[in-house]
Amino acid sequence: MNAILDFAPPLVLAALGGVLSERAGVVNIGLEGMMRFGAFAAVAGAIFSGSPWVGLLCGALAGAAAAAVHALLSLRFRADQVVSGVALNLVALGLVTYLLQSVFGSAGVSPPSPSLPRDGFGHNALAYAALVVPVVFHLWLTRTAAGLRVRAVGEHPRAAATLGVRVLSLRAFCVLGSGVLAGLGGAALSVGILGQFDSRMPAGQGFMALAAMVFGRWTPLGAAGAAFFFAAADALQRQLSFSLHAADLRLDGVFLALPYALTLLVLALGIGRTRAPAADGVPYDPEGR
Amino acid sequence: MLRARVFAPARDPLWSAVAAVLAALLVSFVAIAASGRNPAAGFGDLVTGALGGPGPLGETAIKSAVLILTGLSVAVAFTVGLFNIGAEGQLIWGGLAAAVVGRLEIPGVLLASLLAAALAGALWGLLPALLKVRRGVHEVISTILLNWVAIHLVHGWLVAGPLAAPGSGASVSVAGTEPIATAAWLPRLLPGSRLDAGFPLALAIAASVWFLLTRTRRGFEWRAVGAGREAAHACGIPDARRVCEAMALSGALAGVAGALLILGTEHKYPGVFRTGYGFDGIAVALVGGGTAAGTVVAGIFFGALRAGATRLQLQGIHPSFAELIQGIAVLLVAAPRIFQPLWARLRGPSDAPAASAPPIPTVQP
Repeated sequence: MNAILDFAPPLVLAALGGVLSERAGVVNIGLEGMMRFGAFAAVAGAIFSGSPWVGLLCGALAGAAAAAVHALLSLRFRADQVVSGVALNLVALGLVTYLLQSVFGSAGVSPPSPSLPRDGFGHNALAYAALVVPVVFHLWLTRTAAGLRVRAVGEHPRAAATLGVRVLSLRAFCVLGSGVLAGLGGAALSVGILGQFDSRMPAGQGFMALAAMVFGRWTPLGAAGAAFFFAAADALQRQLSFSLHAADLRLDGVFLALPYALTLLVLALGIGRTRAPAADGVPYDPEGR
Repeated sequence: MLRARVFAPARDPLWSAVAAVLAALLVSFVAIAASGRNPAAGFGDLVTGALGGPGPLGETAIKSAVLILTGLSVAVAFTVGLFNIGAEGQLIWGGLAAAVVGRLEIPGVLLASLLAAALAGALWGLLPALLKVRRGVHEVISTILLNWVAIHLVHGWLVAGPLAAPGSGASVSVAGTEPIATAAWLPRLLPGSRLDAGFPLALAIAASVWFLLTRTRRGFEWRAVGAGREAAHACGIPDARRVCEAMALSGALAGVAGALLILGTEHKYPGVFRTGYGFDGIAVALVGGGTAAGTVVAGIFFGALRAGATRLQLQGIHPSFAELIQGIAVLLVAAPRIFQPLWARLRGPSDAPAASAPPIPTVQP
């Protein structure tokens, strides 16, 4: 149980980032890249300031900066959103390794950074954020006027525009928010869990967050629930290979593949109403018809 | 429809791609200078590492061959309007199939390994196509998920467990499957380099793909499906079937790319095999404008970049710099509109109003 709360925050935060962006109608394949920027910036910020909190802030800002590129390309220049996200991931892969070597002189790992303080139960603040943020996000999305506008922009932007909603600005806001959440997710990985940056980060966690978003049917509570479920599967896998000597069986890979296979199965069987927002991925042209 | 969305507003896709690559090189030039190193020496090393003599040329050819094939994989999926993010997973299964069949003591083992890789990749590519036409699952999501299923199943289980060479055990550096038979090695063509038959094979495959897409009825029908499935359906083209065929070919191409790595250089399925070539294929296809010829040119360019980047370490620059250049190029190609003001200016003021008018979405062949 403790392990779940420790490993869930990166996934939960990034999955919520995916939900925010896609409910506003912008596909975000770039979560992995945003997490990578966030994870690196958080460690750099924490090391140079000496405070893990400054690190978190840097992580959020770096995620937002990466998201700004995605927003600029896909909203202002109407680039294909999938292409833009893929490109962002490629840039993150190269640029962060380059920065890692330039700043810390090693392309493998960074020096250890100050990590977040833990409470009496051994959890840091991000573990509690992973519990609270989904609920707040859910209430905001379903019970407030702003949340309604976001959903309207993701389902039928033209209709929202005729009611006076500024579609592109709202979408840009949601993409930036998505970057903040993904950047914090990356920071949770580096400053929160490992206490340093590893050049392989986030090692597919961004894509797993994407899977959690789909598994959770593009809803905040669903996505967070799926993220916790995936984190639990991960924790169980670690436990098993520890206690049962499952390492001899070498079944780790099967467990690791499970979240992705399950998500695929849910999609294939169409369990429940698994549907992306109607205008997800469709560029919006203010002058179009 | 997808092609129109990805490539259309650029009236000069070729020049947009060239401009994007040049801009990316410029950005990286500035980045090297900003970090206090000598950019001219860095680019000199890059060129020497890619083209200076048989050794570097061989490395460029090896990497280009794989990138051409994964690029073609993505480009073929584009023609029927699908975005195949899954070349990485298809490549992994292809590589594993080649490593397994390559161990057999049978005549024609090389050909058999290549065919097995194509088949394995095709099956893994067919899966998202079936999910798309039968269950309406978006291929971007399903191919991403299938990548990770493949990565974890093959690397975390099959190669580490059931298929691991006995005694490879704890040490990762020697882990992996048993070596393939020497008869299954791709023949080396040039003394003093690792250049193997993979490069000419990739070029021949690219030529066949070009012929298929532009000179045959089947290719025409694929493009019709890509331009608009409903319209193609109304014309009597079995659209669902065509989507599945194209995705199977797409997967087969990525599978053969994996086989080239195993049969050409690795000679077994290694314990650590994170290539990224499948993801790079997306970049190659996009910069290549989604055509077979463009993909070959972009594949050779990025292959040379990857090969040359290993020499950058002489200047204290990590080889991942190549990925950075590649990423920036894709970012710029992704948004052809960035260059529109530039084209408008180059064409002269008389043309400017036409360029600033809302672009008409055109479907390219």
